[in-house]
Amino acid sequence: MRIFRVCVKSTAVLWFCVCAAAQLKPPTDSWPTYHGDYSGQRHSPLTQITSENVNQIRQVWQFQTGQNQQIKATPILVNGVIYISTPDNLWALDVRTGSELWHYTWPKNNAFHIGHRGVAVYKDSVYLTTPDAHLIALNAKDGDVKWDVVVADSKKGYWSTNAPLIVRNHVMVGVSGDFDNLPGQLKSIDADTGKTQWIFYSTPPAGVSEPPSGGATGGQMWMTGTYDPELDLVYVGTGNPTPVLNGAVRPGDNPWTCSIVALKPDTGKLVWGFQTSPHDTHDWDAAEVPVLVDGNFNGTPRKMVMQASRNGYFFVLDRTNGKNLLTAPFATVNWAKGIDEQGRPIPDPNKEPARDGRLVAPSESGATNYRSPSFDANTGLFIVSAQDGYGIYFFKPEHGEYGWAGADYNVAGRAFLRAIDYQTGKIKWNHPLGDGALAAGVLTTASGLTFTGDVAGNAMVLRTSDGTTLWHASIGRMGNAPITYEMDGRQFVIFGGGSSLFAFALPEGLVK
Amino acid sequence: MLLSAAAATAQEQAGRAQSPASQRPPETVKPQTYSSELIRAGEGRFMAECGFCHGRDTAGGETGPDLTRSMLVAEDFRGDKIAPLLRSGRVEKGMPSFSLTVEDTDAIAAFIHDQKTKMEAVGGGRRGVDPEDLDTGNAEDGRSYFNGPGTCSTCHSAAGDLAGIGTRLQGLQLLQRMLYPTGAKAKVTVTLPSGNTVSGSLASRDEFAITLTDASGERASWPIGDVKFTIDDPLAGHFEQLGKYTDHDMHNVYAYLQSLR
Repeated sequence: MRIFRVCVKSTAVLWFCVCAAAQLKPPTDSWPTYHGDYSGQRHSPLTQITSENVNQIRQVWQFQTGQNQQIKATPILVNGVIYISTPDNLWALDVRTGSELWHYTWPKNNAFHIGHRGVAVYKDSVYLTTPDAHLIALNAKDGDVKWDVVVADSKKGYWSTNAPLIVRNHVMVGVSGDFDNLPGQLKSIDADTGKTQWIFYSTPPAGVSEPPSGGATGGQMWMTGTYDPELDLVYVGTGNPTPVLNGAVRPGDNPWTCSIVALKPDTGKLVWGFQTSPHDTHDWDAAEVPVLVDGNFNGTPRKMVMQASRNGYFFVLDRTNGKNLLTAPFATVNWAKGIDEQGRPIPDPNKEPARDGRLVAPSESGATNYRSPSFDANTGLFIVSAQDGYGIYFFKPEHGEYGWAGADYNVAGRAFLRAIDYQTGKIKWNHPLGDGALAAGVLTTASGLTFTGDVAGNAMVLRTSDGTTLWHASIGRMGNAPITYEMDGRQFVIFGGGSSLFAFALPEGLVK
Repeated sequence: MLLSAAAATAQEQAGRAQSPASQRPPETVKPQTYSSELIRAGEGRFMAECGFCHGRDTAGGETGPDLTRSMLVAEDFRGDKIAPLLRSGRVEKGMPSFSLTVEDTDAIAAFIHDQKTKMEAVGGGRRGVDPEDLDTGNAEDGRSYFNGPGTCSTCHSAAGDLAGIGTRLQGLQLLQRMLYPTGAKAKVTVTLPSGNTVSGSLASRDEFAITLTDASGERASWPIGDVKFTIDDPLAGHFEQLGKYTDHDMHNVYAYLQSLR
């Protein structure tokens, strides 16, 4: 295990307690968790950068990872230190200069290196998942390893890209595993000791009958969940079932795959689940961010959870009980026959993968994917990276019953940023972002700005109310959503473009 | 209802014949062998860097095609085609570039060739799509759709650009090309503030700049707000059509194109 230390900043001694209260309304000089706070709204109260002055923001620093991999992680900022990760790598950076404080590398391994979403911080520890599904706790000050535990057996086909969610002393870690028939598991690990506290299975492990998944495995929880301290419930999106494209061998709805599940953080006990894609046969995870919003729905105050799901539908649920309030498509869809009484799309059997191929919208890459959406309470808009796309899906018995068990090919897609009115599901505005792939994640601020990127590699700022472009800079393809914070009286925005982080702010002279 | 339909589909599919040997993947042009050590090293690198998209066994994964059926792999000799592709990527098709060492690319090429040899010995194709799998359409109905509601004939003709298409392309390749011929260049004409016009093929376009390549191969780029332009994009019609095809239409047009030999 190699640890690179360039210099260790000794001034950062007042370690900020990343506790539940702080993550509800984190200090504006931090971005302490994947979504910025527990709600998943990825909305900041900062207002220094406005629609009037945003055209004057300038690059303040750049950090180049020197890696081939695109940055798909959210930077985490605590105590003046930015933590940014790629598979096998974690860097600690000085927030004021972007210069490296230390760099940790995990030994070379053969698990999938497809991306890394970020780290989590608790007390004076940083928690990093590895491609081969370990969780390591590092000293936040110098990157020294405190402990290293195996979350799941990578030899069986598990891997991890996950940015953990921490509630109290529970470090909740998810894994991936679509190429093998593996039970879906979310593991809670003691933040101090590394000991396993509980495992929630979205599909049953061998020899267990609950949940009754109809023979399906999968339902991996590879994305970071959200948390409501008042209800003391964690919300997590689950992935697609396995075998992936062969649905015939796993009859029924296959709970709790392609679902939003509400769990008790102390026990991992399921309180409710809602399936966005019953009996999925298209790899459409519901792993996307379950965004928590308190507000009116048709005149009634509600505690809601909202998700724009990979299958092309936008869902609003009552998060106290999982009951559906709204289901509406936000992208081109042709795979459902209607919506059932529970608010779930009804899959059309004619759009299941077949020997001669089925032309299906969305494509396998999805109507959206892991790149974070944002909710802006001022306008009531849920803003999401979307794609109208088509794929062809094949299955024949020769493809078997294991892992992918089928073949599919993306045909074409068009990327957009879409602003959804959460009370009606209607698209308030639609901003084209290019062809061929989904674009970037989203950040909104209380000054009415939306920060995102396009397919061509431009970082962009749009006006939240109508989607008008106000600013752009070519920085390379963004792998996730920007973050923002205030430091020394100045608001900064960090975009990850290509393999670099870029910090932008107004020139010092313009800041009062 | 869903279950019985799914079960019926499975039964119907189970009754169909296996792929005949005549549809096997392209044969390796120059046979080549590698040390087991290099193949093992390549397996590890392949799994880490390529396995998610192309499958751990190279036979296709999430999005990426089955490499044992790849023409490029068949024509590759000791990485002479695979290594440059790894370094450049195929960004337009979603494949990133990789900064791998020569040792890594040599090892990856060795593993892919070894897998191809193994898969050829086994036959079939675990995640493949064979040309005869697609033979469910009616060519006559496809011709009617092509000339009628599909409006394909407004840009294409059986005796012109598509003459012999069924000989040039088969199976999945033909179907993909028919649905969306990636790489087909749009033509663009840019009108400069002076009133002069420049024409060429569209190289790139985003919200802020437009770039074309002219007949001499030179690239020129303008901020969007500085010029006026018109784009004739053959892919636009194909994309629109994706929202109109029924699966029957798709298979019928495929059958029609396949008959143009």
